Amino acid sequence: MSGPVITLQGVSKRYQDVPVLDIPSLTLPSGIYWLQGENGAGKTTCMKMMAGLIPFKGDIWLQDNISCSRQPVQFRRLINYAEAEPLYPSFLTGRDLLDLYLRTKGGDREQIQKIGERLGVDIYLQNPVSSYSSGMLKKLSLLLVFTGDPVLILLDEPLITIDAAALRVLYDLIRTSHQRGVTFCITSHQPLDLAVTGILTVANRNITLN
Amino acid sequence: MRSILSKIFIQRYYIQNTGFFLVIFYLFFGVVNGDSLINYHLSLMEGFLGNYGFLAAVLLLWCIYGLKCAGFVLKTFQLQEFSFLYPTLGSVPGPARHRAWLFLHAGIYLPVLIYAAIAAGVGISRHYYLSSFIIVVFNLAMCCWPLPVYERKLHHPDVYFFTGSLQNLINRHFVKHPVLYFPYELVINFPRRLFIIKLVSAGILWLTFYLLSQTGAFDLRGLQIGTMLCVLAHLQLILHHRTFDDTYLGFLRQLPVSLFVHYLRTAGVYCLLFLPEMIMIIVRVRSFDLLTIFATQLSLLILFRCLLYFPRLHPELFVRYVLIISFAELFLILSWYQWPAILILQGAAGIIFFTRYRKYERAALPE
Repeated sequence: MSGPVITLQGVSKRYQDVPVLDIPSLTLPSGIYWLQGENGAGKTTCMKMMAGLIPFKGDIWLQDNISCSRQPVQFRRLINYAEAEPLYPSFLTGRDLLDLYLRTKGGDREQIQKIGERLGVDIYLQNPVSSYSSGMLKKLSLLLVFTGDPVLILLDEPLITIDAAALRVLYDLIRTSHQRGVTFCITSHQPLDLAVTGILTVANRNITLN
Repeated sequence: MRSILSKIFIQRYYIQNTGFFLVIFYLFFGVVNGDSLINYHLSLMEGFLGNYGFLAAVLLLWCIYGLKCAGFVLKTFQLQEFSFLYPTLGSVPGPARHRAWLFLHAGIYLPVLIYAAIAAGVGISRHYYLSSFIIVVFNLAMCCWPLPVYERKLHHPDVYFFTGSLQNLINRHFVKHPVLYFPYELVINFPRRLFIIKLVSAGILWLTFYLLSQTGAFDLRGLQIGTMLCVLAHLQLILHHRTFDDTYLGFLRQLPVSLFVHYLRTAGVYCLLFLPEMIMIIVRVRSFDLLTIFATQLSLLILFRCLLYFPRLHPELFVRYVLIISFAELFLILSWYQWPAILILQGAAGIIFFTRYRKYERAALPE
């Protein structure tokens, strides 16, 4: 896949009256990107904008033809996002969430079940999320991010709180998904054990690709 | 350990319920002349000591107060800032922990214990032995029954309202649809709030039907005004709904779901929330008027919820807008313009929802 996966055009974001991000233009071809920046630089805000979770000025395009503002449903079908600290209603079970994601995002249920087994999520899927540890919740959110048929997966601090075995599975999933054409954008303060295509740096309210 | 438990539970309880105790204090000591205060209370005590029906009513009130106390302790356990209580109290030896539970529950239940002890003393001195015995046994039971409940909460932090096995059964056999999330949140985590609002709403409806029956002829407008008041009784739940959506349901915005489906979900939430009132109305009214009534109340509920997609609309401003809309609606109802009013409400709700939903972002509101 040689064309751009995601294009940010004149994107800016303010919280109250404080400008947080101002990205004139950014185009990313297929690859695995490591999004870096200091605390508070705007990494999570950038990811949330790319995922269509928060409003912003400008527009974001996927594969050059799906616009976040004009085709919001198709856009969300092609992009998945896992939060750094996922938060769900306490009474929901992992199964409730997985079922919802599979119904809306689509994807192969059996394949997701296999990923769940590899991550060790299948054991506690029936339990309410209030009984999960932060690591269990993180693994569930990582499982959800592989539902559907996305072209871009955004992982916000995926390495925190999960155990070493799950980390190995996650790296393997990223590699195999990338081989199938999925692009990844990952924030992490820890070094990544992946061959990254490029490093994105958030600084001075802009993002640059190195 | 007792001093920290006292700070967390007992002191917080009395601080949070200052208003409640002021009202009780006024009712008990403020309404009677100081000279006849002791006689008043002695007469009151003699009243329930000598009459088992009266005594049953008093015990019921004490029981409700006991439930309030136990609810406060369980609620405190659910607060994130007190989550450290699980490992700390969990590591205390069983007997010491049981004594701690008794100490903190008795500390909260203390006003009733003091009054009951005096009443029992008066009962013995005036030969009401059986009533005094009932009071003593009842209050001992009220001090003891919450202890296993607290113990269970300590070992099952995820169980809120349903018993663990029922919750497990539901989780095993049913997948919760997003339309159920908010009603589920209320039932599991805020049952008391839901119960009080539904009780008030049922009271309004009962009064409406009573007044309508007094007039002798059914007037649709009267019932519509009654249901409008029921909707206003739900304002706290509507504000709670926004907070719940903002805090927990951000992930729904990332799903590839059309705005229309999101709108239907919102409408579905209010259909479910208003189901008890709808049933109450269906039992009494059986005509085409039902459609007009339900359409009016649902349109109001949905519009009020949609107003909150203006992030800077804080609760005070929200109530002002709600009252303005309600007055306009009231005049339209009184002028027999029910369906134009419904169309206006639905149109306004739809326009706000479809233009604001994707642009909505939680704002930091002033306290």
